[in-house]
Amino acid sequence: MTPRDLIRAAALAALVALHPEAGLAQASVEGRVTLPKAPHAPVMNQRYGIISHEGVLSPYPPLAVVYLEGTFSAKPPEKPAQMAQRDLNFFPNILPILVGTRVEFPNLDDTYHNIFSYSPAKRFDLGRYRSDERPIPSELFDVAGMVTLRCDIHEHMRAIILVLDTPHYVLTDPQGVFSLGGLPAGRYVLKAWVNSRTTLEKPIELTDGPPLHADLP
Amino acid sequence: MMLVVSAAAISTLILTQRNMATSVRRDFQRDFESRLASLQAVQEVRHAVIAERCRQLARKPRIHAALEDGALDLLYPSARDELIDATNTDESAFREPGAYALRARYYRFLDSRGRVIVPPNSKDVGDLSAADESSLSTGLLPDRPQTGYIRRDLGGGSHIVDEVIAMPIVSSESGEPIAAIVLGFKPPALGGGGDGGLTGGIWLDGHLDFPTLADTARSDLEARLAPAVTSSDGDHGGFEFSSGKDSYLVFFKRLNPLSPYPPAFEVSVLSLAESLALQHRLAWEFAGVGALVLAFAFLASHILSRRLSAPVERLAFDSREHREHWHRAQAALESTSRELQRSARFSADASHQLKTPVTVLRAGLEELLAGEHLRPEEREEVSSLVHQTFRLASVIEDLLLLSRMDAGRLQIQFSSLNLTPLFEALLDDMGAMPDFFGLDVDSDVPPALWVKGEKGYVSLILQNLIENARKYNLTKGKIRISAIEDGEWAIVTIGNTGPAIPPASQEHIFERFHRGAVGENVPGHGIGLNLARELARLHGGDLRLSVSDENWTEFELRFRLAPPPEPKRGAS
Repeated sequence: MTPRDLIRAAALAALVALHPEAGLAQASVEGRVTLPKAPHAPVMNQRYGIISHEGVLSPYPPLAVVYLEGTFSAKPPEKPAQMAQRDLNFFPNILPILVGTRVEFPNLDDTYHNIFSYSPAKRFDLGRYRSDERPIPSELFDVAGMVTLRCDIHEHMRAIILVLDTPHYVLTDPQGVFSLGGLPAGRYVLKAWVNSRTTLEKPIELTDGPPLHADLP
Repeated sequence: MMLVVSAAAISTLILTQRNMATSVRRDFQRDFESRLASLQAVQEVRHAVIAERCRQLARKPRIHAALEDGALDLLYPSARDELIDATNTDESAFREPGAYALRARYYRFLDSRGRVIVPPNSKDVGDLSAADESSLSTGLLPDRPQTGYIRRDLGGGSHIVDEVIAMPIVSSESGEPIAAIVLGFKPPALGGGGDGGLTGGIWLDGHLDFPTLADTARSDLEARLAPAVTSSDGDHGGFEFSSGKDSYLVFFKRLNPLSPYPPAFEVSVLSLAESLALQHRLAWEFAGVGALVLAFAFLASHILSRRLSAPVERLAFDSREHREHWHRAQAALESTSRELQRSARFSADASHQLKTPVTVLRAGLEELLAGEHLRPEEREEVSSLVHQTFRLASVIEDLLLLSRMDAGRLQIQFSSLNLTPLFEALLDDMGAMPDFFGLDVDSDVPPALWVKGEKGYVSLILQNLIENARKYNLTKGKIRISAIEDGEWAIVTIGNTGPAIPPASQEHIFERFHRGAVGENVPGHGIGLNLARELARLHGGDLRLSVSDENWTEFELRFRLAPPPEPKRGAS
């Protein structure tokens, strides 16, 4: 089983789980997003002193979030999503969620973190807390938009929560390959969020049958 | 001497004074440059500290969040918290010199186009007029820290210059500059006049901000700086500058090369008053020391010349005295020589004159003796007279010989001479003498003894010695004659029994006309030993008294040995 099959299966499973009524939706789209080069060589951070470079660090390769824009009725999951702080970084560093989803921020490091966001979609400041903080600090993301998370203590830590008002989204792999299934047929705009300044889009017409191939751009 | 020493001393002093003045000026300039360099090094450290602080501010996550995440409304409030220990916006706190050199008076953010993001409340970020605020703009955002200087109008004609540092803020997502933070600092006071006359100011936009310099000097320097700053090839330069009675050493250096802000120059001024005072003091000290040195040189040269000339004068004096002595000695010598010559001539003349009458006398007496009419007692008398004529003739011969020797005219005709036959002949002669008292003659002479000499004179010497041995002997006494070879010498000793020669007389027996006390009754004329020694010495030998005790007197005569003559060829 290839990663692509895995992603496809996972996306389908999520779709079925989230939208039982969409079980009939059989359309799918697959393709590839051209990803920008990482501004810095990805490194796995173990020690804060080493990883900080000009205040910018990308421990993970850039990934894009591909989603289908449209009006869909969907309920946010009851179980909160998680964005942990591990090895002095956010894990994952990009998290697409459906609007209304609660996200927990467990601290898995043995030092303090102070997660905050100034983004208009969600401003919050969790304050300093350690790994034994209970309940796990969490925030409800009820406005669609991009939320940039930072740690007030560790200037290199940065993560994105992409709050989407569509349940149809998927993360590409590091090569930009995606596959999005369980979609209702119809005309849509397929979007790929690449970074804060770049969101690619492509109008598509989905039909039941073989997957539509759509590369972005 | 003294003039030479003094001239040398004066020229040395003048040269040294000039060298010293140049050296003082050079040292002063070097000192100035080194102090300037150390001050600038301190400033660079300060600048590096400030820059690092700004860099840290530019990394603050909340500032990044405000700028990058679309929350400009939170920019200044967040910055206020972040910069609370980096700024002091209370203007009065900066009035003390050096106060809050590391704290900012104000700060502003620049947007992605380099324009000032106007703060909602200037109270928290430091008051600035709109014009001053706009002067913080850099145009394009710098990609590295930039230093600038802005001249602010404080009202009432007074101005103040601030140092601003613009630190780019780099996107944590893209790594590109997205904004900048500009902080305004009080520029570091350079010297402030308390550092050995070194003061500093800032040249900016054609104005010289130099609070410690007098207004006239400042405006003079301002006029002088304008062309120097624009024409300087590099970013620095220097010159000497006078205003009124004061002289200064000026050095300027661009404070913000490659900066988007207007060029600013740090102007360092060193008052030369101290240097000039030092030079004056040195000149006076030199004059004083010079006078002392000159006086000393005078004294030293005087003493030296005295010491040097003393031996010369002494020499001159000595030489004069010496010359006088010499002249006297010379005169005496000449006189003596003349006397000697006269004496020698006299002796020779006298001898010659005497020889003839003696011969005539002897001939007459012999003729008288040959006559038969004499009575026996008369005959004995005449015979004695004839004998006396022989003695007289002998004395005349000796005197003639001595006078020739004195005149230096006696030349010895050296040849190899066998002494042995001479002895034999002399002893034979002596045996025939009437007053030979049956003396015991012991002769120990080798069969042949060859010496260098002339037969007549050697014979005379030996004859004189044997004669003396006979004359001064005891009745039935003894004579011992021996001759040996000793190295290159033939040593002849002739000894005889007889009374000792008193020690007091021993050294005089070889003097002319000296006769020993013992020989009062002995016939002689006191020239025999003298003649013998003179002749022996003319032969290269010598004659000395070797023994003279109670009953034995012995003379030692030595001649140089000579090789025996080669037998003539063809001789049968």
